Parts: sequence; structure tokens; C-alpha cells
Amino acid sequence: MSLTISQARLHELLNVLVTAGSGDYDVRVRLEENEDALLDVELGINYLLDDLIDRRDQNEAQEEELLTRARQLARQQDELVQALSTPVIVAWPGVLALPLVGRIDDARAATITSVLLERVAAERATHVIVDLTGVAAIAGPTLPALLRMVRAIGLLGAQCLLTGIRADVAPQIVALCDAEIHVRALAQLSDALALVLAEKGALGQPHK
Amino acid sequence: MPFLYEEATTPQGKPLLRITARDEVTLADAESLGARIEEGAPNHRWRILSIVEKGTEYSAGARKYFPSLQPKYGAIAVVVTSPIVRAAINMMMRLTGQAPNLHLFTTEAEGLAWLDGLEI
Repeated sequence: MSLTISQARLHELLNVLVTAGSGDYDVRVRLEENEDALLDVELGINYLLDDLIDRRDQNEAQEEELLTRARQLARQQDELVQALSTPVIVAWPGVLALPLVGRIDDARAATITSVLLERVAAERATHVIVDLTGVAAIAGPTLPALLRMVRAIGLLGAQCLLTGIRADVAPQIVALCDAEIHVRALAQLSDALALVLAEKGALGQPHK
Repeated sequence: MPFLYEEATTPQGKPLLRITARDEVTLADAESLGARIEEGAPNHRWRILSIVEKGTEYSAGARKYFPSLQPKYGAIAVVVTSPIVRAAINMMMRLTGQAPNLHLFTTEAEGLAWLDGLEI
């Protein structure tokens, strides 16, 4: 079977293929009522382009869905990390304990301050024990932020006690402390709790 | 409506579903045909004469759906005069694979004669 094809049709077909090859799938072969086998090829190319658009749309929809899911997971993860990074415990009525673990940077220090001050006000706390035993490192500029937190706790009428201060952090605290910050430091969280309970006259009394 | 249905008989008096197709046939249109020839539906396994007018187009969804109808009709004679529409139907037939109960004709009389000659 031989087929005579006009230059114009061949040119049109190639143009469509080149355009589609560059990523534009909206292009179509212009069909005319030609009674020949090339018409099947022209139509087949148009159908193929329809399918490519369908698949592209499906891919884009799936990608959007995955992105939405990833954003949702990231948000949930942030909320979880935030909750775990500031585990404020009511050790005794009016006594809050905050055992910190891991590295503390500026952002985390800001979160800790915000959460803790909110809890101090809500619990009408008289004492806050911040335990640094599990803190691996405190970023250089972050220590002042923690000390500002101690000062803010004092402004709310509560007393702050630091426990578990590492040997390499102690000199930094000394260098940064001024006369207005009164930091009481003890070796262990249990020491601080015993001290606070003794001050409150709660040792040896049943918990009400 | 791209599909116009009419229940009729062949010249030899056999039940015939006559369909006139025009404009753009969508997936919903194709599914409406599927519902008519579904097992238990009134036109299941009937002879079908489909007159497809020039300019009729098939959406991608309809094109993919049509091959699934093959076991639901007795036979389809498609009468088509437009080369473009014929090419479209040929393409769907290629998707179907073998479709011995579907034939293309250029006149209604040829299609009806073929349908009358079939044992279904």
C-alpha cells in the first residue's frame, strides 16, 4: 500500500510533535476529512496528547495531595516536639519543675519561656525548678535568654531554682548574672524539691 | 444529548436498538448506553445500529469506557461517513482488540443486512 502525503500535513504533524516534545500538550493536529491511513496516525497523536494531559493533571493532583500531607505531618511533628521540649510538671501545688533535655537554641529558649511563664501564671506557682541535667549544650547567645526567663519568673512572684548545671556552663552564668537576678542553684532536682518543700513546711505532712 | 435512542426492529423483525450519535460523547453518555445494555437491562445483548454523524467526537473517558461494553451487546453495526469519525472508532476498536461483533458501514442498509444475517 502506498500513501501520498502532502508536505503541509507532514509539516503540521512534525510541528505538533516538536511542540508536544517541549512540554506543551495543548497542541493538536488539525484534522481534515482525508480518506487515508495517515488520518488514523494524526488522530492517534491527538488521543495520546489527551492522555498525557490527563496523566499530568493526575500527577499534579497527587503531588499537591502529598505536599498537603507533608505539611500536615510537619505541623504535627512541630507540635509534638514543642510539647516534649517543655515538659512542665506540677511537682507540688505551687511548685513547677521543668526538666530540660537536649540542645537549647534561641527558638527553643523562647518557646520554653513562653510556655513556662504561662504555666506560672495559671498555676499561681511560688517556685519553679529548672533542671539542666539533660541539657547537652546551650548555644552562646541563648544563656542570656534563659536568664531573662529566670528574671521574668521572679517578676511574676515566683522563685526560680536551677539544678544540674554543668561545670562548663557555671562560669557563663556567673559572667552574665547581674545583681538583679537571684539564681539559686542546687546539684540535683531532688535537692531543690526538698528545699522548696521544707520552705513551704510541707515535708512530713500529707499532701492536701 | 449526543445519543438518541430508539427501539425498533430490523427488516426481518428482530429487536433493534437504534442510536444516533452527534456532538461530543462524554463518559456519562457512554455510561448511559452501558446502563441500557447491562445484564438485566431492557436492551441487553440486542442488535444495535449506531448512526454516527459527522463532527461527532469522543472524550478520553468515553474512549476508554467503550471497549468494556463489548460483551453486553449482541452486535453493533456502526454507520459512519466521516473519515475522521471512522478513524476515531477504528482507534477504539484497536483498544478493544478483537471485536467480531462490531462492524463499520457507510450505509444504513448495509448495516441492517449484516445485523439480520447474524445468529445471536
